Amino acid sequence: MSSHVSDADLRAWSEDRLAEPAAWSLEAHLDQCRACRGRVPADLPPPPVDLPPQGRVRPPSRARRIRMLIGAGPQARVAWFSAVAVTVVLTLVVAIQPGTVVPQWVLLLAAPALPVLGTAASYGRHTDPLYEMVASSAYGGLRIVLWRTLSVLAVSLPVSAAAGSASGLGAPAVWLLPSLALTALTLALAARTGPAVAASIVAAVWAVLVLGTLWSPANGAQLVDAPSAPAWLAVLAAAAVVTLTRRFQEAPR
Amino acid sequence: MTVDIEKIRIRYGRRVVLDDLDLALDTGVHGLLGPNGAGKTTLMRVLATVARPDAGAVRLLGTPIGDAKALRRVRRQLGYLPQSFGFYPRFTVREFVEYFAWLKEMPAERIPVAVDRALERVGLLDRADDRMRTLSGGMQRRAGIAQAIVNDPRLLLLDEPTAGLDPEQRVEFRALLRELGVDACVLVSTHLVEDVAVACERVSLVDGGRLIFSGTPEQLAAAGGDGDAGDSAIERGYTAVLRAVRA
Repeated sequence: MSSHVSDADLRAWSEDRLAEPAAWSLEAHLDQCRACRGRVPADLPPPPVDLPPQGRVRPPSRARRIRMLIGAGPQARVAWFSAVAVTVVLTLVVAIQPGTVVPQWVLLLAAPALPVLGTAASYGRHTDPLYEMVASSAYGGLRIVLWRTLSVLAVSLPVSAAAGSASGLGAPAVWLLPSLALTALTLALAARTGPAVAASIVAAVWAVLVLGTLWSPANGAQLVDAPSAPAWLAVLAAAAVVTLTRRFQEAPR
Repeated sequence: MTVDIEKIRIRYGRRVVLDDLDLALDTGVHGLLGPNGAGKTTLMRVLATVARPDAGAVRLLGTPIGDAKALRRVRRQLGYLPQSFGFYPRFTVREFVEYFAWLKEMPAERIPVAVDRALERVGLLDRADDRMRTLSGGMQRRAGIAQAIVNDPRLLLLDEPTAGLDPEQRVEFRALLRELGVDACVLVSTHLVEDVAVACERVSLVDGGRLIFSGTPEQLAAAGGDGDAGDSAIERGYTAVLRAVRA
C-alpha cells in the first residue's frame, strides 16, 4: 500500500472537498506523518478563533498526579525555602572558616530540624490558604501531609547531608537519620496535635538534645556519628508505625 | 437521606454553637438561612467533615461518619465551598480546579474533561489559563464553585456562594443550582433571603445553634404578616419566625 498522500488529495482535503471516509483516513495519516503534514498547502483557511480553549488540562498520568500532589503547597515553600537558605549559608560559612564565625553546633541545631519546620508549615488552618477545602477532600488529613512532607524532604535532605560534611561533626550520611527520625516523629505527633504543635514539640526536644550534648567531650558529634545510627533508626521505625496505624483521617477539631 | 444528623452539639469554650440540632436533607436545592452567628458556617463545616461535633450522630450519603475508610468514601462524593478561602499564587484557574479533582480521587481519565466542564458551568473557561491572583473576587468565588462541583458531588455544600457575584451572574448561578439539584443534594448557606426564595425548594432556618424552621419558601413566606419587617413576603416570613422564637 502506498504510504503517502497525493498532492491532489491534500489540496482537496485542505479545501474541504474530500468525502468524509477519505478525509478521515487522510487525517489519520497526517497525524503520524510529518512529511505529509509539511506538504499541506499553506493557504489553508485559518482555524476558527471563537472556539473555547478546551482540553488543555495535562494528560492525567501518574506522574502528573504526583507532580500536583507534591508541587502544591507553595505557601509551605516560602517557609522551607527560607529555612533551606539559612542552612545553606550556615553550611558555607562553616565550610569556609571552620569553627570561627559560626560554631558547628549551630549547624547541628538547624539542619536536621529543617524538614520538621517545613512539615509544620505545609498544612493547617493558619498556614494553608486552602485548608478547609483540602481537609474536606479524600486526601485531607495525614495523606496530604505525607505528600507535602515528601516535597520538603526532597529539598532539605541534600542540604542536611551537605551541612553534615561541611561541619566536620560525625559522619555526613548519619546526618540524614535525625532529619528523617524527627520528621517521622512530627508526623506521628501531628495525628494528635496537628502539624504546627507537633513540630514545635519535636524542634524543642531536638534543641534540648543538641544543647545538652554540647558539654560532653564529643561536642554534640555523638548525635550524628555512626554509633547513634541504631537509635535513630529505632525512633524512625517506631514513629513510622504510629503514623501509619493512626486513624489520622478523622476530622480535626 | 443524603444528610441525616441527629442532636449534634458543638461547643467552643463556653459558647454553644450548635445545640442539639437535627437536620435531614435529600436530593434537591436546600437553603440554609439565619442571622450572623447563628451557627450556619459551623453546620456547613460539620457536613463538610472538617469539624466534628462533640455529641450527636452524623450520617452522610447513608454512611455514619467515623472511621477513616467511611470518611474517605464520603469525601470523594463531597463538594464544599467554604465561606472564605485563599489560593496558591502560582496556580492557574485550571490547575486550581485540577488540583481538587486529584485530591477528590477522581478517576484519572475523567479529570481533563471534568475540569473544563466545571469551568464552563461557572463561566470561567475563557480565564482558565490565568493565574488565580489576577481574578476579581467574584471570579475567585466562581473558581471555588468550580472546584466544588468538579467531581459531580452527591452532596454539595456552598457557604455564601453568591457573595461578590454581580446580579447577572447571580441569575446564572441560580440556574446552575437548579441544574445541580436534579440529582444531588445541594445545601446553600446564605444571608440573602431572596436567593433562597428563587432557587431553593426547601428552606431551613437556624438561630442560636438550633433549627427553628424547615419547609418550603412558600411556607416561610406564609408565616409573615403585614406588620413584620421586610421588603418581600419571604423576608417578612423570615423576621416573623425569628421573632416568634426569640419572644
